[in-house]
Amino acid sequence: MAYTQLAVLLTSGLLVIIGLFAAIFIDNIIKKVIGISFIEEGVNLFIIAIGYKTGGVVPILIPGMDKSWFATNAAYPLPFGLVLSSIVIGASSLAVMFAIVMVLYKKYGTLKTSVMLADHSHGSVNDE
Amino acid sequence: MMNEWIPLMVVIPMLCAVIVSAFNKWSKPIKILVVIVAICIPIIPLIAQYGIHYFGGYAPMIDTVTGILYHPSITYIFNILQKIFIFVLGIVTFLVVFIYVNKYKKASGQYLFLIFMGTSSATALLLTDDIFNMFVFFEILALVQVGIVAASRLEGNFEMALRYLILGAIGSPIMLLGIGFLLATTGSVNITDIVSAIQNATISVKSPIFLMSCGLIFFGWLYASGLPPFHTIKSGIYSKAEPHAAALLQCFTVISMISILLIMYRIFHVVEFFELLVVIFSAIAMILGITLALTQTDFRRMIGFLAVGELGFIGLGIGLYTQFAITAGLFQALNEMIITALLFLGFGAIVYTTGETDTRKLGGLLQYHPKVGLMILLGGLAMAGVPPLNGFRSKLMLIQASLSCGYPELSLLAIIVSIATFVVFVKMFYTIFLRPKPKELEISKNDLPRSMIFAMGILLIMIVVIGICPNIVTYGISQYVGGILL
Amino acid sequence: MLEFILMFIIIVSAILALIQSDLLKAAILTGFSGGAIAVLFQILLAPDVALTQAIVSAAIVPVFIALAVKKTRRDDN
Repeated sequence: MAYTQLAVLLTSGLLVIIGLFAAIFIDNIIKKVIGISFIEEGVNLFIIAIGYKTGGVVPILIPGMDKSWFATNAAYPLPFGLVLSSIVIGASSLAVMFAIVMVLYKKYGTLKTSVMLADHSHGSVNDE
Repeated sequence: MMNEWIPLMVVIPMLCAVIVSAFNKWSKPIKILVVIVAICIPIIPLIAQYGIHYFGGYAPMIDTVTGILYHPSITYIFNILQKIFIFVLGIVTFLVVFIYVNKYKKASGQYLFLIFMGTSSATALLLTDDIFNMFVFFEILALVQVGIVAASRLEGNFEMALRYLILGAIGSPIMLLGIGFLLATTGSVNITDIVSAIQNATISVKSPIFLMSCGLIFFGWLYASGLPPFHTIKSGIYSKAEPHAAALLQCFTVISMISILLIMYRIFHVVEFFELLVVIFSAIAMILGITLALTQTDFRRMIGFLAVGELGFIGLGIGLYTQFAITAGLFQALNEMIITALLFLGFGAIVYTTGETDTRKLGGLLQYHPKVGLMILLGGLAMAGVPPLNGFRSKLMLIQASLSCGYPELSLLAIIVSIATFVVFVKMFYTIFLRPKPKELEISKNDLPRSMIFAMGILLIMIVVIGICPNIVTYGISQYVGGILL
Repeated sequence: MLEFILMFIIIVSAILALIQSDLLKAAILTGFSGGAIAVLFQILLAPDVALTQAIVSAAIVPVFIALAVKKTRRDDN
């Protein structure tokens, strides 16, 4: 199972690419946001894969464990700590996005980004 | 040596933000609390001593085998640069809160939450020596900016907020990916540790992973600082926020720009083309900012684009990477924070009295508001670089720096952009204040709140004082740059 | 073997979520993908992150999407 880390890295890259594709090319705003959540998850997966150690143990020191054995075999815990905060940040920014989407849907009655986020200011200046 | 004042600079505004949003109903006590905290914010950096704070008290450890120093905890460094910038940020925050409290009878807890959260995270960006901590506060700052724009009642603010948020939600995972690459190569997120790993040649500076992380973090920096290709969205953000909030937003932008840039410099200055990259993007920002400002008719957009163009000056100075040039760039950053805040507040006063932002429909306001007109004129002259105001000092330093580095083209560009700024400004001043008043224009509210005049006066005093004796800031910044960066 | 199946689920449900014309189904498929990532975190020796990810990505985010869909519209045009 030495290929696990490589496979996870590839999966995370694929997830980021899928998300970027969705965020750039799909017109529906909710799907755009779903794509953005995939980018975030892909990056989180990547950072977790950095800390992984093949054949390692969970980095929690249980009483009675040999400390030097633990130090060589435990996975690297720093990336895990980072991902915890990153997950929460991602979820909160997603919530803000959906809140604004709901407000804008009331105004425009559509979920199309091409209608919602079109540059209205320029049009009005030219009309006058 | 522990220094408890350092975390308090971040904790006090953050705590105030949480309290204020929790007790939204009591308007009167909230107002008193926010004014007290806003007075405290600029005072704390003045009384705090320079030093380093390790969160949790975990002091650095020396690896007995390799002899390398490791920082196990999140580290905050407080030095003269941080002192100056946190002080100015605190002053602007205080003025903005003061205006807000005077302008609205019922204080909105959520809005004040956003303001204090933004100040707290900008302070943390300046202090932090931890690249992931930087990322977290960068994200919070992006969300705060979106919130402030969404809270303004201007037309089209939600569209702008959503656009900025979507770009940010793409840009920040990209930056996180860059941090992940750095973490994978160095095994640390502490910047001092990363730098020492690079100096000890434990990681190769020409490895593609390192260059990739440089590019990804650079992209995140472009987003945070609103340099091209994000200049349009950044000026849009300024124009869709309420004027006093826009004054604060541009402070956040400047601070995140310089703090992330300094962090990137400490890590990536070994990459050969990095300085060139910064200079090129700054030069493009200067050109685009000024050309787009010339074509605008909405004065808020105009100031927004001018602010983006001024960011280019900062990047230009820091990008040249000599002690004098970095000092000039940082000094320019300080001046821009003050000047742009003054201009946004001044034009906020015009919006307040007329309810109009289109320069073609305005005119003849000098006889109604001579004080505001004078202060805006001085602010604009400072921005264009007219002696003896502070903008002149920093721009002169920048031009000297680029000449001494052997890039006369850049100093020529800087002079041309300064002249164009002057032209934009004079044109705007003429159409708003000097030419005869159009008949359709109605001046609905003739009495300006005193808080606005007071805030502008304070900023103007700072402009003049720094302009007359720039040594009070440049000497300290120069010391810092010589000691830490080079 | 389990991790490869999980990676397959992550990618396929992500793609399916994006080509779905019913946004509620897309929300559920996003939850699938997030849940699979949570189990993958457990395999990658990060149980604490797996717990957070399971709650946030498999429950909270789909609920956010479903709420947004309920307040707006279900089809994607």
